[in-house]
Order: sequence, then structure tokens, then C-alpha cells
Amino acid sequence: MIEVRNLTKYYGIGESRFKALDDVTVNISDGEFIVILGASGSGKSTFLNVISGLEEIDGGSVTYDGRQLENMSEKELTKFRRDNTAYIFQQYYLLPHLNVEKNIKMGADLDHNKDFLPLIEAVGLAEKRKKFPSELSGGEQQRVAIARALAKNPKVLFLDEPTGALDENTGRLILDYIIKLQAKQGFTMIMVTHNANIAETADRIIKMNSGKIVNTTDNTDKKTAFEIGW
Amino acid sequence: MIVSIKDSIKLFGISIMTCCAVTVCNLFLNYYMDLTAIADLIDTPVAQVFYDAQLMTAKVVCAVSGGCLAATTVVMLFFYIKHYIDSHSKEIGILKALGYSDFKIAKGFSVFGLSVFIGCLIGYLLSFWIMPGFYTKQNAEGYLPEMPIHIHWILFVLLVILPLLVFALIAVGYSLLKLNQPCVNLLKGIVKSKGKNHDVKDKKSFVAEMKSSVLRSRKTLVFFIAFSSFCFSAMIQMSASMKDLASDMMGFMTFIIGVVLAFTTLYIAVTSVIRSNQKNITMMRVFGYQSADCKRSVLDGYRPAAYIGFVIGSVYQYALLKIMVDIVFAGVEGVPEYKFDFPICFITLGVFIVVYEGIMFAYGQSMKRIPLKQIMSE
Repeated sequence: MIEVRNLTKYYGIGESRFKALDDVTVNISDGEFIVILGASGSGKSTFLNVISGLEEIDGGSVTYDGRQLENMSEKELTKFRRDNTAYIFQQYYLLPHLNVEKNIKMGADLDHNKDFLPLIEAVGLAEKRKKFPSELSGGEQQRVAIARALAKNPKVLFLDEPTGALDENTGRLILDYIIKLQAKQGFTMIMVTHNANIAETADRIIKMNSGKIVNTTDNTDKKTAFEIGW
Repeated sequence: MIVSIKDSIKLFGISIMTCCAVTVCNLFLNYYMDLTAIADLIDTPVAQVFYDAQLMTAKVVCAVSGGCLAATTVVMLFFYIKHYIDSHSKEIGILKALGYSDFKIAKGFSVFGLSVFIGCLIGYLLSFWIMPGFYTKQNAEGYLPEMPIHIHWILFVLLVILPLLVFALIAVGYSLLKLNQPCVNLLKGIVKSKGKNHDVKDKKSFVAEMKSSVLRSRKTLVFFIAFSSFCFSAMIQMSASMKDLASDMMGFMTFIIGVVLAFTTLYIAVTSVIRSNQKNITMMRVFGYQSADCKRSVLDGYRPAAYIGFVIGSVYQYALLKIMVDIVFAGVEGVPEYKFDFPICFITLGVFIVVYEGIMFAYGQSMKRIPLKQIMSE
């Protein structure tokens, strides 16, 4: 269970200081799939960074199963990320001098997961496991990023616009794969997107604007990645 | 133009390297030329032996230190140009896409010759500041007649103007070679993969894989790290022996040059490897790797090169001084017998271990300060 209470985050100093997150409160249950929806500058990515422990909190609290993030030292935060979370970014951020297999090993080693080769097959890259990121298409690179994140068996998976850099067909395939895996493995999934169609695949949709939650909707009519518009 | 004079000034490593080279070379070459002018005034056999030894010393020191530092400067210049092209690949790609020829872009890199010029000029002036004391010390026994200092303008041309032109040409030539790649690769910042494709079943951990990959992708830095410890080892041990074999002044000069070269090269190498791996370090930390893991994967791979450099430096200084004492100064009275100084070697090694490991530890700690959010804001 993730409990977010009165979360506040500021950027800038002096006259240019502004509130990126303004008194945000939300509870996220284990195994839930949440989509944070909002336009550019709405605070959704800041929200993701703060609740995942990548950025410091200026006010309020974020609690994971009773443990408060804001009270953790840098070392404890790193250990927390190591044991609990994984990330998928729009820009993939693969390590350019390591091949597919070794990039995925980055996540797998943290969970002492020696059996990650089936994961490479599952993302459809078995034949390209010796290729380097520069030799792969955008969709393939994103699949490596997904396999890398899942190889560490996270309790919470954070996704920041994971399909933002992909074409429609690849985007749908990637999204479908992640959603099915989440349903099968039961980890908590928090995805940030500006695409309202993608939100229809989630359990709950949180809409943000100007650093505030403006609407929360339980999605009773969940759709698959192939049923939504794009 | 994409490469500015400001960029050239940033290459202070090259300026320091050339400054040291020209200080030493001008000092000894000027001395050599002034010595040749008094050849007819040498009238005793003892003075003749001493005179010949002085001439030989000047030639050996110039050839060895000048040659070694010039070669290292070329490697450093190549490294800077490659690094510049890699980090500005998008801008260069845009220029190529707009129709600029490789030569037109490469011409801009000639300003890198300016950093060589700055170093050479400072070194040239510095040598004249040291020269009066140097001349006096070299002839402390009074074997030679009094020798006034002359300014030989040919040395100014050879040691200041010529390096500027040569290094500007080298910069253009090398950048031309590096720019010869498809425009789209530059625009997309495509990195040539240099990894090894062995099987993951070889049980190597990710951190070990990363360590090998960092080493393979920045081979030049292995040279710089080895060179840094080479300078530290050779020059500090040599400076201790110089006090007995030559003079305190020569010992002090050798010590200062050694320390400056060692720390400058190490600084350039380590900051460069951290900067070029900043994204990778950030991603490792985002995934939960501790900063000790990041340090192991990015910096620890260079440790063997550092210690090998130290050993080579010890052997080099021994061989050089042995040659100087047994061959160059053979027959000169009052020159003590030279033996490898083990206590000095062990003290230097001890200081080296503390300094090198301390610096690596400090850089490891600095990895903690790389903000994680920077990767999100790209």
C-alpha cells in the first residue's frame, strides 16, 4: 500500500519559485494499475519522481507499507529502490556499450535473478539478444527497457510515457504486453501519460492539472491495448 | 563556428603538458647552445669531460622528456577532439546536413592549436625565469668558464611557433578523420558498439560487465591513468636521487613537474570517464545500485593500469639515471655511484597508494551527488 499525504514539491528559487505539486493526497493499493493523466506541465512526472523516491519531498509524506520515504537517508533510499521499484522511461536509457542481454542483466542482478533469458524471449528479442542498442529499433529498445525493469521482479513498476516515442502498432504491442504481465504477476503499476485513450486500460485514472489532482475515476470498463483509440 | 577559442582554453591539460615540455626543453637547449659557443675555451681534460657530459645531458633530457611529453600531448589532443565530436555530434550533424563539408568543419578544430601555443609560450617564458639559477647550479664546481645567457630566437620558433602550426594541422587532420561518418549517425548520436559478445552464462556480474565495457569504450584513458602514475613514480623517485646526483634545484623542478603532470592527467582522465558515464551511473542508481557499485564499475577497472604505470615509472627512472651516471657522466669526478633506492621507492609507493585510492574514493563519493532527476528532465 502506498499512502501519499499532502504532498508538496517546489522548483526554483526566489521569484521564480513555483509549486509543482500542491497538497496531493492519494492511496494506491497493492497490485493496482493506475494511470496519471495530464497535460504537459500538470505535475504528473514530478508526482511520479517524488513518490518513487527519485526526488526529495518538500512537504507531506509518502509511505510504503508503513515506511516513510522522507525519513530515509540516501543509502536507505537506494536500498528501497533496489528492493521495491523499477522504472521504464520514454527515452529507454539503455547502456549503449552493452548488448541486450547485458542491459537486462542490470536489473536481473539486483534480484539475483539468474533465469532471465525466458524474459528476453517473452519480449520477443531472443534472436537479438547479442545486439547493441544502436542496432535496434525504438520499439525493440523499449522492449529491452521493459525486460530490464521486470528482470528485477519489482513490487512497484513506474512508467513515464512508455509508449510516447513509439508508433501506434508497436505502442499497442508494448502496452498489451505490460498490462498482461502486470495482471499475471500482480505488481503495482503507476503509469504517467498525456494520452487519454491509454488511461482506459487502467484500474484507476488520476487526472492532474497545475500540480493538483483534479479528478479520480475508478475505471469499471477496462479495455485492452487493442480496443482503445490511439 | 562550432569550435570557439573558449573551447580551446578549456584544454588546459594540453597547455600544462606543453608548458612542462617547453620549460625543460628550452632550459636545456638554450644551455646546450650557449655551451657550444664556449667550446674553444675548454682547456683542461677534466673540464672537457665535464663539458661533454653537460652537452650529452642536455641532449638526453631534451629528447626523453620533450619526446615523451610531445607524444602524450598528441594523444591528449586526439582524445579531446574525439570527446568534442562525440559530445557535439548533434550540432556537427546539423552542420553536415546543411551542407558544410567535413573540411570546413574540421578547419574549426585548428583553434585547439591555441592551447598548445599558450602552454608553449608560458613554458618558454618560465624557462628564462629559472635559467639564471639553473646555469649557476650546472657549473657549481666551476669547471667551465663563466657563461652568459643568450636568447636564441630559433628556439622560440622551434618551441613556440612550430608547435602551434604542427598541432593545429594535426587537429584538423584528425578531426577530418573522425568527421568522416554518415550525417545521420552524428545527428542520432549513434555510438559504435565496442562491447564483447560473450555469453552471459560466464557468470560475470553486471558490475563486472560494466567495468569491462567502460574500459573498452575509453581505451585512451587507460593510457592517461598509466601515464599519470608513471609521472608520479618516475619523477618523484628521480627528484630524490637528483638531489645527490645534480642539485636541489633540479630535484625540486623534477618533483614539481612530476606532481603537476600526474595530477593534471589523472584529473582529466577521471572527470572525463565520469562525465561520459554520467547517464549510466544515474540509471544504475535509479535501479538501486549503491554508489560503491557505480565506482567499481566506472573507476576500478583502471586500477591495474595505474599500478603498472607506477612500476614502469620506477624502472624508467632507474634506467635513465643509471645511463646518465654510468655512461654520460663516466669519468667525471665526484659523481656518486647510483643504485636503485628501495626506501624511496617504497615511500613513493605508499604515498601513491594513499593519494590514488583517496582520489578514487572522493570521486566515488561525488557520484552520490549526481542528481537522479536530471535523467528525467531530458
